[in-house]
Amino acid sequence: MTPHDWYVENRAAWVSRALEPREERLFDDHLPRCEECRQEVARLERELGWLPMAAVPAAPRPGLTRELADSVLRRRSWWRRHASGLAAAAAVALAAALGYGEHRRRAEVESLLAERERRLLAVEDTLSVMRRAARVVQREIAMGEHRGGLLIFRDEISHRWNVVMHGLPAAPPGTVYQFWFVTETGMVRSVELRCEDDKPAFATLEMPATPAPVMGAALTVEPALNRSGEPKGPELVHVDF
Amino acid sequence: MTGQASLRARLVARDERALVELIEAATPWVLGVVLGMLRDQDEAEEVTAEVFATAWDRVGTLGDEYQELMPWLLRVARNRAIDRLRRRSRLRRKAARFQAYEVATSAPVPFREPDESAQPGWHVHRSVHAALATLPEEQRVVIRLAYFSGFTHSEIAQHLGVPMGTVKTRLRLAFDKLRTALAPIRDWVP
Repeated sequence: MTPHDWYVENRAAWVSRALEPREERLFDDHLPRCEECRQEVARLERELGWLPMAAVPAAPRPGLTRELADSVLRRRSWWRRHASGLAAAAAVALAAALGYGEHRRRAEVESLLAERERRLLAVEDTLSVMRRAARVVQREIAMGEHRGGLLIFRDEISHRWNVVMHGLPAAPPGTVYQFWFVTETGMVRSVELRCEDDKPAFATLEMPATPAPVMGAALTVEPALNRSGEPKGPELVHVDF
Repeated sequence: MTGQASLRARLVARDERALVELIEAATPWVLGVVLGMLRDQDEAEEVTAEVFATAWDRVGTLGDEYQELMPWLLRVARNRAIDRLRRRSRLRRKAARFQAYEVATSAPVPFREPDESAQPGWHVHRSVHAALATLPEEQRVVIRLAYFSGFTHSEIAQHLGVPMGTVKTRLRLAFDKLRTALAPIRDWVP
């Protein structure tokens, strides 16, 4: 019996994961070096590919498939959102390892790149919500001589909204533009939207963690000091879906 | 087969609707494989999520040897479940699983007929069971323990009270028969 015979004998066991962990590692190490075994286990895997379907299918609980889709897509978003932080952390660690003085410039460049990356990913993330939006709502807003509007892109897959407020002046002193979710049980405070230098304000919003479903949205000019859960200022937009 | 190839092409093209379709079609089978091994609903759902994340990440890099999507997905599911099993505290968990296995196998073969024919892929399930039914009982038991419960050779040998070489031989003979019996099965369209 040659040493290779052991691998031949255990191909089926490797495919079924019946080898002991130590033996499995041995086989794993062998595979990249042995074309014959690689081809044979690939053939076995292909020919036995349907065997797992002997398992009894399990009916997913209500809502599970949606949660699964959501988790896969949000996981990507999580990495995108944290990519800049991770890149910055890596840059800091690199600088510390190599010596701060000598590599300060490198850290600065890394930091700059990380910031650019963060902005790029944020834009990509925003665009992905817009691209996937199954529904888009637009409302015009008139404030004095200004003619602006509010756009809401509703992504039904990730359950996020992308909100764009444009064409409006900066909020009057002591006030803010406040975005609200309208639910069956009342208004839920969301984000402040800031218009500066006539540039549009963007926000990507998760659905609020409330048991009542979201039925619409509203935009108010809110006293900056109002931190309550109820709007007190004039309403610029109210949308019912 | 065309439908699945199309689904795969759409997944490669990063079509998120295709991901939703894949999840809706494949979840009962992926969850069934994983739950059968882990016997823990929460953990099975976690692994199922990992499986679809892997599918989404890697579908674009699959080689030509993976013409069919479902077998690959189920293999990922099975491997993930086994990885989980091996991370668990072995003795305590496996004692419980052996007991559960005794209960499961003392009942008739877990082959649910009612209302299942509407399940996409159910005909494949029936074909695989038909193939398993042609095996001698001692080979079928080894397949169940190794392939569907994630036990290693030595654990199976210990459980059945037979030499490890016997376990290996039974597994190999069973696979030789199954690879012929399963060969005609073709992909099903989700």
